[in-house]
Amino acid sequence: MEHVITKKEDLNAADYLIEVVAPEVAKKFKPGNFAVLITIPEGERIPMSIQEAHGDKITMFIKRLGKTSKELDTWKPGDAFHKIIGPMGTPPPLKKYGNVVFCSDLVCGHAENYAMCKELKKMECNHVVSIQTFPTEADIYPEKYLCTEVCDEFILTTKDGSRGRKGHYMDILKEMMEAGKVDQVFAGGDMPALRDLSALTKKYDVPVYTTVRQIMVDGTGMCGSCRVFIDGEMKLTCIDGPMFDGHKVDWEAALSRLAMFKAKEAEAMECYLKKMEGIE
Amino acid sequence: MSVKKRVPMREQAPEKRIHNFDSVPLGYSREEAVQEAKRCIQCKNPTCESGCPVKMKIKSIINEIANENFEKAFFIAKEDNAVPAITGRVCPQEDQCEGVCILEKKGQPINIGKLFAFVADWARENNIEEHLEIKDNNKKVAVVGAGPAGITCSVDLRKAGYHVTLFEALHMAGGVLQYGIPAFRLPRDVVDYELSFLEKIGVEIKLNSIVGQNMSFEELRNQYDAVFLATGAGAPRFLHIEGEKLKGVYSANEFLIRVNLMKAYKFPEWDTPIVCGNKVGIIGCGNVAMDAARCAKRLGAKEVYILYRRTRKCAPARREEIKHAEEEGIIFKEMVCPSRIIGNDDGWITGIELVQTKFEGFDKSGRPKPVNVDNSQFVMELDTLVNALGTTPNRLFLRNAPELETHSWGGIKVDENLMSNLEGVFAGGDALTGGSTVIEAMGHGRQAAAAIDKYLTK
Ligand SMILES: Cc1cc2nc3c(=O)[nH]c(=O)nc-3n(C[C@H](O)[C@H](O)[C@H](O)COP(=O)(O)OP(=O)(O)OC[C@H]3O[C@@H](n4cnc5c(N)ncnc54)[C@H](O)[C@@H]3O)c2cc1C
Ligand SMILES: Cc1cc2nc3c(=O)[nH]c(=O)nc-3n(C[C@H](O)[C@H](O)[C@H](O)COP(=O)(O)OP(=O)(O)OC[C@H]3O[C@@H](n4cnc5c(N)ncnc54)[C@H](O)[C@@H]3O)c2cc1C
Ligand code: SF4
Ligand code: SF4
Ligand code: FES
Repeated sequence: MEHVITKKEDLNAADYLIEVVAPEVAKKFKPGNFAVLITIPEGERIPMSIQEAHGDKITMFIKRLGKTSKELDTWKPGDAFHKIIGPMGTPPPLKKYGNVVFCSDLVCGHAENYAMCKELKKMECNHVVSIQTFPTEADIYPEKYLCTEVCDEFILTTKDGSRGRKGHYMDILKEMMEAGKVDQVFAGGDMPALRDLSALTKKYDVPVYTTVRQIMVDGTGMCGSCRVFIDGEMKLTCIDGPMFDGHKVDWEAALSRLAMFKAKEAEAMECYLKKMEGIE
Repeated sequence: MSVKKRVPMREQAPEKRIHNFDSVPLGYSREEAVQEAKRCIQCKNPTCESGCPVKMKIKSIINEIANENFEKAFFIAKEDNAVPAITGRVCPQEDQCEGVCILEKKGQPINIGKLFAFVADWARENNIEEHLEIKDNNKKVAVVGAGPAGITCSVDLRKAGYHVTLFEALHMAGGVLQYGIPAFRLPRDVVDYELSFLEKIGVEIKLNSIVGQNMSFEELRNQYDAVFLATGAGAPRFLHIEGEKLKGVYSANEFLIRVNLMKAYKFPEWDTPIVCGNKVGIIGCGNVAMDAARCAKRLGAKEVYILYRRTRKCAPARREEIKHAEEEGIIFKEMVCPSRIIGNDDGWITGIELVQTKFEGFDKSGRPKPVNVDNSQFVMELDTLVNALGTTPNRLFLRNAPELETHSWGGIKVDENLMSNLEGVFAGGDALTGGSTVIEAMGHGRQAAAAIDKYLTK
């Protein structure tokens, strides 16, 4: 199977979009699923949310972060991934929730925001509000990749107020919950923000599904690397998640475990940069 | 040299091998193999064969080796065992063929495992292959899981003319042979060669295909005339004690998958990292524990401890693995049971609390039963901990097959023909047993192939 890149576009200075041929993944995709990518034979198995599936292709939003995502950024349409596996994960059910709000403030959150809102909106019984937060005006994605068209009410915020409403999605959501207009919250993105959001929604007694990102190896439930603790019970993010009831997540452990390989990631990056210098 | 003694196996010296992942045994030379084979007294009633789960014709094979008819020896071996190069290296021979060799009582049993590995390696190096004439029939069988059970079943069915599609969740085939057992025990060129045979005879291998996820069990049942489930028992088990959230705490599966499948020992040339400290504890004393311990040593750990609640004499690990581990400086802490993992404010493990155990009576398996000694807790400093407590069947597949009958712990229920409660759906290997041996899984694969053939031709 040739996983050829058919489109690559910058979303902002840090994030880019990749569209790639992955028929097996596209065929079974449900909003909230992710794919496991192996860029090169020596590569890591890396989880990546799927923003959309169309025909035999999937699109993903990717942040330039470490070795793999930066190396991938040098690729062009026509280049091919070594392997793409998926769709993985068990997304929350698409059903009647009533007044739904989906919040996101980072690449992976934005991808799920788009995917889930689109389907939730199709179900007439839901009123879907999408809130997307970016640091500043320059970071905002091109219009067609925002959730504007896939929800009933779209709210854009920037942290510095340079466009849209000023503040973080949390501020807006708080107002909405104060007004008592929210039946179900979904959220993805920055993990500490998701922890705070979970605490906030709990205060207002509003149920919340949040993405819980953990380090994955196989992504098929075999290694236990991605374990999280939900109400004291061990769950695997790759097969049971990655979205969980935020009120029940052991956030301290989840945030801590995510940093387990920090030193190694820095080493990989350094090694990659050295190699690139050698080539130039 | 006394004929009571084995021709010794040359091995990489411990101080050298703890710095590489190359094979520890160097294998018999032609002369050594013949000499070892000649020790066999060709018993009228070869007890060795009764100890082999797949009833290999051990006596004849050894006779051919003694007469330097290696090709003939290889073909006789292949009649009962698709992968003698692998089983020769990983079977617990002391409990099987070699354990009941008549010479066991008089000195040392014949080194059957290493002789068979020799013959299979010789065949590979000399491009000796089976010439098969496969008469295609028009029936399709799906095999799920490319471990020893799935591989064996696929080969047998293909030989009988079936169109076989082998689905594997990971990006490489082999199951435990690929992701679990390290290359210093089972070199990957051996595994790759055996797998290349599948493609040569026309088994279609579909990697990255997770049945229950990107393809449903129901689709599979509709598209194929029969299904063989060989999904193994790959899900990790934890102790559920305090501190398992800490950084630096691994399941053996994670540790071994990172090292073996993802080649973390080649980091940063390969991308997948592993963090292995200087003082490493391994909970358990089976093959998995030995593998994890010896990998940790090779990753540079200074002290590696096996933490076990019995003594190594009652350990389930192969004798050779325990011996190799001891030679490599692995420290065995026996009669201890973990009660809690201790960490620091940054969420990293700093140690483990252990309780002393003593034997009191016997358990269901007839082994002495360890019980905790009151007020005997003590703390051991550690910076890495690996849980090697065994595994359970993966929920991912089972969740998608609710109509399939299983035991409460997830093992698939089958009848004497390895057929599940679902018509045309067979199962074998660790998916039934929850974990046993390569050869037993292969035996199931063979038995299921015969049963499927019978089912589809009736
Ligand atoms: C369910 C899920 C969905 C995700 N969706 C997206 C997405 O849509 N877009 C996006 O840009 N990123 C997403 N990520 C994160 C993405 O996997 C990491 O950014 C990527 O692995 C970074 O690799 P790297 O080599 O570039 O950086 P590294 O330097 O290796 O890592 C940078 C950071 O990425 C995370 N990370 C690294 N390796 C892994 C791993 N094997 N598994 C999980 N996280 C890891 C860690 O937090 C790490 O600190 C998702 C992660 C998960 C678990
Ligand atoms: C570290 C380790 C060391 C061992 N050492 C020894 C030893 O020295 N000697 C010995 O005899 N035995 C040993 N064993 C045990 C032996 O390896 C197993 O009993 C044997 O591999 C079981 O074979 P299997 O085919 O049933 O399953 P596995 O080898 O586990 O293969 C199952 C395969 O199915 C795939 N799979 C699972 N779910 C799905 C799905 N839904 N869709 C598609 N594919 C799927 C998995 O990815 C895997 O590749 C060891 C085991 C381990 C873990
Ligand atoms: S398959 Fe295993 S038990 Fe049988 S003869 Fe070979 S090494 Fe011995
Ligand atoms: S029991 Fe031992 S000596 Fe006798 S035939 Fe078997 S291998 Fe040879
Ligand atoms: S990534 Fe291995 S169990 Fe989830």
